[in-house]
Amino acid sequence: MATLQQLSTNHLLGIKYLKPEDIHLIFETTRNFKEVLNRPIKKVPSLRDITVANLFFENSTRTRISFELAEKRLSADIVNFSASASSVKKGETLLDTVNNILSMKVDMVVMRHPAPGAHHFLAQHIDANIINAGDGTHEHPTQALLDAFSMWEKVGDLAGKKIAIFGDILHSRVALSNIFCLNKLGAQVKVCGPPTLIPKYIEKLGVTVEHDLRKTLQWCDVANVLRIQLERQDLKYFPSLREYALYYGINKPLLDSLDKPIVIMHPGPINRGVEITGDVADSDHSIILQQVENGVAVRMAVLFLLASGR
Amino acid sequence: MNYLIRNVTILDPDGPWHLRQTNLYIRDGKITDPGKAPGSVKEWDLNGAYCSPGWVDIGAHSGDPGFEHREDFSTLADAALAGGFTGLACFPNTAPVTHSKPGILYMLRQSDRLPVDIYPTGAISMDCAGTDITEMMDMHAAGAVAFTDGKQPVQHAGLMMRALQYVRAFDGLIINRPMDLAIAPHGEMHEGYTSTSLGLTGIPALAEELIVQRDLDLLAYTGSRLLLHTISSARSVELIRHAKSRGLSAMASVAAHNLYFTDEDLAGFDSNLKLAPPLRSADDRKALLEALLVGTIDLVSSNHTPLEEEAKKLEFPYAKSGALGLETTFSALNTARPAPEKLAEILAIRPRKALNLAVPHIEEGAAANLTFFDPEMEWVYTGKDIRSKSRNSPFVGRTLQGKVLGTYHKGELRKNP
Repeated sequence: MATLQQLSTNHLLGIKYLKPEDIHLIFETTRNFKEVLNRPIKKVPSLRDITVANLFFENSTRTRISFELAEKRLSADIVNFSASASSVKKGETLLDTVNNILSMKVDMVVMRHPAPGAHHFLAQHIDANIINAGDGTHEHPTQALLDAFSMWEKVGDLAGKKIAIFGDILHSRVALSNIFCLNKLGAQVKVCGPPTLIPKYIEKLGVTVEHDLRKTLQWCDVANVLRIQLERQDLKYFPSLREYALYYGINKPLLDSLDKPIVIMHPGPINRGVEITGDVADSDHSIILQQVENGVAVRMAVLFLLASGR
Repeated sequence: MNYLIRNVTILDPDGPWHLRQTNLYIRDGKITDPGKAPGSVKEWDLNGAYCSPGWVDIGAHSGDPGFEHREDFSTLADAALAGGFTGLACFPNTAPVTHSKPGILYMLRQSDRLPVDIYPTGAISMDCAGTDITEMMDMHAAGAVAFTDGKQPVQHAGLMMRALQYVRAFDGLIINRPMDLAIAPHGEMHEGYTSTSLGLTGIPALAEELIVQRDLDLLAYTGSRLLLHTISSARSVELIRHAKSRGLSAMASVAAHNLYFTDEDLAGFDSNLKLAPPLRSADDRKALLEALLVGTIDLVSSNHTPLEEEAKKLEFPYAKSGALGLETTFSALNTARPAPEKLAEILAIRPRKALNLAVPHIEEGAAANLTFFDPEMEWVYTGKDIRSKSRNSPFVGRTLQGKVLGTYHKGELRKNP
């Protein structure tokens, strides 16, 4: 594969809009930054004089902290904004809020927003590099990048590998971004969950669908288990957490009964005892904490590559 | 002002001068023998373009009363005439809702002073809330041409049935936008590949088809008259075709936008393409275009829904549904490439038949109510062209084929630049 020197885009709006070469470039850069993060002095001057605004219109702990650490490791100047204590509640539009912040000379915007496409909307109206830190049920590209990078570290080249995504596919930006990313890297992707949580046309995105947990686990090399997003469900899509845990919860005896070990991933935060039991999350098969570690390096890579295209 | 319109081809199916290539002399608002035109009269040469009785749209939203910041009657009339429409059957989703005699009379009073005819529709239910039936006889007597809850689809089958029964007393027309809101209460666009890939909540075509089937069954039961407003799916077309073959008095319209765009056009989250009904698949669009040509779909609606910038220049899920339509309906319809004669039938004849209005035929001595158009002419619809008070058109910047050249109605000639 031809290696790019620079990303083919000015924004990271979604994995959908990246070329496979972009992803490879991000991975290569991530490897370098991961090495930096393991040095005694973890800070590099790459983003000195660049100001990044972290705009979180939706709750986030790990993504916000991960971005903030990545920015600090790169020596960027940072401003943080979160919607709870903000002007948003006073009825200001997104465009006004962001334009106000940009007029204070901000170069890059990292944004999480509950509306799918919010970043596209912004990209049409403002002049900063925009990084999508999650837009509703659309995309969460840095999560998919860190997931794929973590998989790659664990099982090598993803071409032909079997990756299963479990849980609430209907409300999950992580699932969508994972699907786009893994497809671009040549993996086989299967989604598994109760039928009401699987979008009717998901197969058109190039994945297969299975509703049986055990069969899917038996099939896959890597299991990416999603959080049940109760807060994003406007209707009742399944009867109870109890039934969900019984039929779609991954536990130790189930994993032990498979004929091969599989890698367990989870984007967090985990509902222990619902989609995954504590002993599975904490087992050797789980790379959940490596995902978090890689998150910082991946975000450094994205920030760095977008900034160097400025 | 008197005019001599040179070199027009008249399209007036069932009219005495149909297909005649001629000059039209309009004196004091009346069509007169061109031989009697004096030398000094104002002339306009149409170079063989077409002229039909003025067009009528069913389904525009007036804005007045209640939403005058979106559209007032004067901008509405300008937009309508620019789009070739000399008559508008406006929907009752005003504030207050047009759901009683005073509302109808208010609309008719506007009609008297405007360069277009307003044909008011009355609501089926009070406040279009879908519960209590309105005084439809009284509104009919006052001049309402049809009854509909407009953009609000009737959910309750019992209400729909009684409405269909009730208007039989005066051979009235019930118009419903078919949509079962419980299937996708937070739906944002057509359910399919694009909605899945954008993470937007899908509205399955099923949500429409269930109500199309329900309403057609209710129509068969009541023996009434029904217009299904802005159907959008291939299966809805099939259901209507079947109902017509059974001899039911069922009509259907399609929104002009659905003839031009598909759900794939939403890939960039353009909120001007957030519409009700939603833009559906390429296969649905093809079925709609074909159905229009063979007459399974009777009418094209502008579905003209002016919305202020504050309701549209927003993140996609927060933007309201709807787009301007009057000025671009003809060009969108023209993507089906109907024969010119068919265009006249779809835009001038069928809407009047649906509403029981007389067709203003083009003949000696008749009051001139005319639309001039050229189906071949290409033009670019720019933001500057917009006559409406709102700006929410997805057609801005597009090269369109088929242009309205002008109108003559109520003694006034309007030429488009």
